[in-house]
Amino acid sequence: MEVHLELRDVSKRFARTVAVDGLSLSVPRGVVYGLLGPNGAGKTTTIRIIMRITLPDKGEVRLSGVPVDDDLRERIGYLPEERGLYRKMKVLDHLAFLGEVRGLERGEARRRAATWLEKLDLTEKAGAKVEELSKGMQQKVQFAGAVLHQPELVVLDEPFTGLDPIATRQFKDEILAMRSAGTTVLLSTHVLPQAEELCDHICLINRGRPILGGSLAEVRARFVRPSLRVVTLAKGTEMATVPGVAAVRSHEGRFILELSPGAPAHDVIRELARLVQIESVEPLLESLEDIFLRAVGGDHAAVA
Amino acid sequence: MLRWRKLATVLRREYLSRVKTRAFWISTAVVPVLILTFAILPSLLITSTGGHYTVVVVTPDTPLVAEIQRILAASEAADTGLVGKLDVTLHQVEPAADAAGQRTELKRQVVAKDVNGVVILPAGILVDGKAEYISTNVSALRLMGRLERAVAAAVVHQRLTGAGFAKDKVDALTRPVDLTAVRIAEDLSESQKGAAERSFMLSYVLTFLLYMTMMFYGYYVLRGVLEEKSSRVVEVVVANIRPTELMLGKIFGIGAVGLTQYALWVLVLLNLTLVGAMFGSPLTEGQAAYLSPTLMVFFVVFFVLGFLQYSAVYAAVGAAFNTEEEAQQMQVVASLVLGLSFVLMFPVMANPDSTVSVVLSMVPVFAPMLFFLRMTIQSPPPWQTVLCLVLLVGSVLATARFAASVYRVGILMYGKKPTFREILEWARRS
Repeated sequence: MEVHLELRDVSKRFARTVAVDGLSLSVPRGVVYGLLGPNGAGKTTTIRIIMRITLPDKGEVRLSGVPVDDDLRERIGYLPEERGLYRKMKVLDHLAFLGEVRGLERGEARRRAATWLEKLDLTEKAGAKVEELSKGMQQKVQFAGAVLHQPELVVLDEPFTGLDPIATRQFKDEILAMRSAGTTVLLSTHVLPQAEELCDHICLINRGRPILGGSLAEVRARFVRPSLRVVTLAKGTEMATVPGVAAVRSHEGRFILELSPGAPAHDVIRELARLVQIESVEPLLESLEDIFLRAVGGDHAAVA
Repeated sequence: MLRWRKLATVLRREYLSRVKTRAFWISTAVVPVLILTFAILPSLLITSTGGHYTVVVVTPDTPLVAEIQRILAASEAADTGLVGKLDVTLHQVEPAADAAGQRTELKRQVVAKDVNGVVILPAGILVDGKAEYISTNVSALRLMGRLERAVAAAVVHQRLTGAGFAKDKVDALTRPVDLTAVRIAEDLSESQKGAAERSFMLSYVLTFLLYMTMMFYGYYVLRGVLEEKSSRVVEVVVANIRPTELMLGKIFGIGAVGLTQYALWVLVLLNLTLVGAMFGSPLTEGQAAYLSPTLMVFFVVFFVLGFLQYSAVYAAVGAAFNTEEEAQQMQVVASLVLGLSFVLMFPVMANPDSTVSVVLSMVPVFAPMLFFLRMTIQSPPPWQTVLCLVLLVGSVLATARFAASVYRVGILMYGKKPTFREILEWARRS
């Protein structure tokens, strides 16, 4: 698959912390790519480096093989996590201004701004001031402002924070529509179910370094461990002795038994039933969240 | 390397979003009124001491009192309406045998405000010229000055008549001299008579206008930057516009709003002058002659350079802090410097040629106001003008460079209020 955006060995250090530490990423063209990780993992710094808002200490960013400079970044759309609008400006003027900022001619910017307002059902608000819009409407305008210059790559930093369910749905639909149109989308999030729903490719970073990554299918195949959800009055320590059980966690009054790689689930269940009294047992497919919790936990353990 | 198209996009937004507001038009109408009030009111309060005053004169010499009263009446007749007529009535009192007792009694009357003051003219006044003025308020400058001149003139008058001169001869001999101030420029051209007082007032008003506009527009830049930062618009914009382009676009845009306001004021002024000329108003004629095109050009030049210098500082302050409260401390420092040039106006105005005035007017932070002020009063030699502009332009560039390096870092920095040292560190780093 053709690499669209590439980060090569990018590092950025702030006064006391290393925000990004030799990070390399390859984002294939035309996919939705999730940059995932806990708060403070370095997602926003990575994105700011892609957008050249922060310059890296070392390493480089390439778009279709060409190093990104200030003019080339007009081919990238960007929605920051912390975003705002000029409150006193009229909606259409504001959107047109953002279009011009992104490199469109003034006339073209106004035309596209009007088209987007129609698309967002905001045409009748074109002459209203931004501060008269509801928060949800303002978020739509911000989204439109990030993409109305039809960039080939769209970078969204935590696009769903602060959105109500309806706006969240609309944003997701827009993202998938852009992918269908061949646009590459890179989004960062710490809400993993959303990533699981939207992304084709993911990369988990922690402490500025990649921990695991690849297409969603690959990640699942490589990292998902079979487990069992068990309801019982017995103690967890008893179940840990059963052959084939790698780890036992207590979760919402139940036990999650992680199985050792290659251990057949039915053997484990039979052995369990022999040992303790079981109310119920069901197989469990790990979510991305489980994988990441384990990976991030392991990362922290390895460092500590 | 600046990309002018990006800068122009920002400039256009800053300009239009301000000029289109009602606040802009209201301030355009109100500010001249405010400035005239601020500029003229204090001097009016100092000099406007017209009114009726009663003064007791202790002397046996009735003709002398009559002469003083005659001179005071003549002065009152010459008082113009603006400062108010000073009407003084004299009451003659014969000196009593008990001089100390009489003095105490008169002092009591002054304290009780029955009279405004007491002038004691001893018998030997025509010989030794010693007199006394008693009042609770010896700082009522105008009344005291008027009395002093009237008494002196009357005494001279009495001495001359006493020496045998005829009364009409004495009037002719003591006629005062009218000294007309004539101001010349480098090319030896003369300004019209009576220009001195008017030019003082206009120098003051114009320089005050510079002060006010630099302060207000500088503050708009601060507010604009803070708004952009706290609303996080800046996050959205910096993906495609470099911080320096954003900062300069904002400063130029707001500066252009200031120039527009000036242009509107000049238009109104020109129209007023035309209307004034039609009705033959000498005041507007004199002012029109005074407001030479050269001076107006320098007014704009000094506004532009001064505004650039101060607003760059304000932009850096705005970017460094998160709220107006946090920025206040630094903002006060910046406006103190501006305020200092305002205070220095008065010594420079009194003595525009002195070495201190010349040097102060060259210092870039003061130059926009003080050098311009000197230009309104006299014509500084061309080398001074050139040197002043070179220094000022150099300082503007250096300030802008420093401000941009603080702005670049500060604009994306949130959280705790930075210390002054941290801000310097940003400037060093970028």
